[in-house]
Amino acid sequence: MKKIHIVVIVVIAVAIAAIMSTVSDSSTYASFAIAQNNAGDEYHVVGKLNKEKEMVYNPEVNANLFSFYMKDNEEKEVKVNYKGTKPQDFERSEQIVICGKIVGTEFEADKILMKCPSKYNNGQPGELSSNTSRPKISRIIQ
Amino acid sequence: MNIQYVGEHLLIGDIGNLFIVVSFVAALLSALAYYFSAQNKLANTSWKRIGRASFRIHSISVLGIMGTMFVIIFNHYFEYQYAWQHSSKALPVRYILSCFWEGQEGSFLLWTFWHIVLGNILIRYSGEWESSVMTVVSVVQIFLSSMLLGIYIFGYKLGSNPFLLLREHPDYANLPFVKIANYLETLDGRGLNPLLQNYWMTIHPPTLFLGFASTLVPFAYAIAGLWQKKYTEWLKPALPWTFFGVMILGTGILMGGAWAYEALSFGGFWAWDPVENASLVPWLTFVGGAHVMVIYKNKGQSLVTTFFLIFLTFIFILYSTFLTRSGILGDTSVHAFTDLGMSGQLLVYLLFFVFVSAFLLVKHYKHLPQEKDEDNITSREFWMFIGALVLLISAFQIIFTTSIPVINKVFGSNLAPPLNPIQHYNSWQVPFAIIISCLIAIGQYFNYKATDTKKFLNRLLISILASIVISIIIMLSFNTFNGYFIALCFTSVFAILANLNYLFRILKGNIKKAGPSIAHIGFGMILLGSLISTSQSETISINTSSVDVSKLGKDFSNNDNLLLSLNDTLKMGKYFVTYKGKKKEGINVYYAIDYLEKDANGKYKLSFTLNPLVQTNPRMGNIAEPDTRHFLQKDIYTHVTYAELEEENETSSNEFVEKSTQSLQIGDSLFATNSIVVLESLLKDIDRKKYNLNDSDIVVAAHLRITDINNKTYFADPLYVIEENYVSPLDAKVEALGLKFSFTKIDIQTGKVEIKLFEKKSNKKEFIVMKAIIFPGINILWLGCFLMIIGSIVAIVNRLRARN
Repeated sequence: MKKIHIVVIVVIAVAIAAIMSTVSDSSTYASFAIAQNNAGDEYHVVGKLNKEKEMVYNPEVNANLFSFYMKDNEEKEVKVNYKGTKPQDFERSEQIVICGKIVGTEFEADKILMKCPSKYNNGQPGELSSNTSRPKISRIIQ
Repeated sequence: MNIQYVGEHLLIGDIGNLFIVVSFVAALLSALAYYFSAQNKLANTSWKRIGRASFRIHSISVLGIMGTMFVIIFNHYFEYQYAWQHSSKALPVRYILSCFWEGQEGSFLLWTFWHIVLGNILIRYSGEWESSVMTVVSVVQIFLSSMLLGIYIFGYKLGSNPFLLLREHPDYANLPFVKIANYLETLDGRGLNPLLQNYWMTIHPPTLFLGFASTLVPFAYAIAGLWQKKYTEWLKPALPWTFFGVMILGTGILMGGAWAYEALSFGGFWAWDPVENASLVPWLTFVGGAHVMVIYKNKGQSLVTTFFLIFLTFIFILYSTFLTRSGILGDTSVHAFTDLGMSGQLLVYLLFFVFVSAFLLVKHYKHLPQEKDEDNITSREFWMFIGALVLLISAFQIIFTTSIPVINKVFGSNLAPPLNPIQHYNSWQVPFAIIISCLIAIGQYFNYKATDTKKFLNRLLISILASIVISIIIMLSFNTFNGYFIALCFTSVFAILANLNYLFRILKGNIKKAGPSIAHIGFGMILLGSLISTSQSETISINTSSVDVSKLGKDFSNNDNLLLSLNDTLKMGKYFVTYKGKKKEGINVYYAIDYLEKDANGKYKLSFTLNPLVQTNPRMGNIAEPDTRHFLQKDIYTHVTYAELEEENETSSNEFVEKSTQSLQIGDSLFATNSIVVLESLLKDIDRKKYNLNDSDIVVAAHLRITDINNKTYFADPLYVIEENYVSPLDAKVEALGLKFSFTKIDIQTGKVEIKLFEKKSNKKEFIVMKAIIFPGINILWLGCFLMIIGSIVAIVNRLRARN
């Protein structure tokens, strides 16, 4: 057996390990229902901000706590506590992705990803098709 | 009913469209002509002439398209969708260039532009390779030109036309205002994405796209080499191009890092964002490819690997284009483009070249010169080959995780990216970096074929010892004993020192051959700089307020953000910071933050002032941009994470609001937001005329001493007045501090007086929430980048000289 064969085997082994680690490190997109059934496990939840309920960010008390209510894609609503500052223009987000876990009845998020609309102010949103919100800016807030 | 629109400039769009069609047709013609010229060696001159002429026409048309687009954007012809969507009248001229490549069409054009530049250089200098190499370049240009066509073929939209009128664009044709004949009179563009309004964004995209474009040249040579059965001859002309590409692509990627560091808010220069990864991966395989090319040139080995890595590099460029432009990364990345309906076209582009390269490689595999003898483990080529493989695996690991959205699409799975991507990538890439930096250190000490082990160790000994000493010093100074940190710290220092030693003791400073050593020193410094600056970065804006956040659960210990009120001073690390106020300039709101240090006498001394800003953009959302103070050994990064932005109404912010009512004895103090107030004494001897009081009134003054945070003292004397049995206090104000005091009661039994404190609304409101991070050693990284570029240039010059 040539040395080069040994090297190739090692390379393949490392590549397989890399694939497995990616799969094991990767999180899952889930609904609040699944997250609640597996409290403590970390998930990505996609949903919308409930703009009717209150958003609390009181930096004078705690600059690192922002809470709001979010509805997931199954319309289930959960209170979310985010460990950080309130993202700029959070009210205007059309879709949010939160990463974290359920603690008790609330969701503790350590990352928020939000998608802001960029619709033309004078246009009527209803008339525009969905892919007009270009360029979208999604920002990761960590 | 036809509307007669007023003031539109339709001619220029027609000219632009003409250029687009000509550029596409000319690329097609050029590819065909060059193909026949390369196939038919006897009658090749006339075909070659046609190919050349067509490519020149193609080049002129591409320049024409770009020129037309500049005229449209520069003159604010918002009847064109591209100008309307990516610029506005208020946009400063220096960002006009950025508008050009904000959209997909413009960035394709930029890429095309670099291809025509490189293509014309190849026509001039590639000699006998011209026909075959230019066939490949022209085929690529057919694909790229088709991205701008915007025509429908059998119901499928081919490309996206940058000269489409706003009122004819399918997405905007329904907007009510485009039905008005003179809509242009009032129309303004939607403006440039605020993230791109940054000087880095005027130089990063052109550099990166030049890097992308430069991967085409070695690729074209490799294809031509197989096609023309010149399996080894292509390496020599392709090698300087490969070094050039490695240098430019690397520079482009690092400029992106610099942009992220200076202008984005995630705090760091690298976040393993999918878009960053997508351009890093081809760079890694490109570096691997460049090294195996050198092996073949010196030893005649690893030819298959060379083809494989050069093909893979170009295919990764196409794949990264697909990832960033098909919208597939939409949910996972900061700066991906959104879908323009071109994902099918991009996929065809990608698969075409995957197929062509795989087909040629398989077809010619058995004709490739095979390796005869077993690799010697003490040979330089063996370790260079190992290094190239490590780079390949490293690239594979990155691209696999980055491709999670693609995997989901193909297999219908529901994977989300790792929750902590930085940790995930680092856990793999740090070990790879350790191996690579080790190989960089020892590589040049090996000879080709075989090395005398004893001599090898002797020459390396001094570098090893010196690296051990230096890494111990680094370890102790940062007080870090993490295994990975120690290992990578040692190997990267070793890489730097071993190459320095090689440069001066073995090459004796011979500049001609110094390229690889200098570039490797640079790379070692990049690794060391990123290791120190990211692992030793320290968030100093720890919440020092008295509020206990632990009751919110132990996971809520994240307290990286600090609330800072106007003129308030808080301790942060070794600094004391004061928020001095904000200033609006155009669309930017600047926040002045003073960093003070205490000198030996305990007095505050201003060290520096930082002005992080928030760029207001009502349409796309506000963007906070950090400000960074650069020192030789560290950077201090400051970022406003939250601020109340609504325009304060002047009258309402000047209103006084009652803050507190307190009973005080002489000597007691009370706290205002911005100062301490002490009741010094009660005065009965009052200048009644001054206050317009009658002699019969009973008057007592509370003499208050107010000390603000800067130790400045003010006095206020609110009066307690009894006027004909009626209490009518006279308030006293301290305008400078926005305070008002009212003396409302005297308790005769206890001798206490009641003082009401009012503050201006603006006193309370003005605060920011900020984050500050110290990045030590980041200059090692930037210096490393610089050295890597210099080293590459030296190596290219040396290779070019060797060729002539």
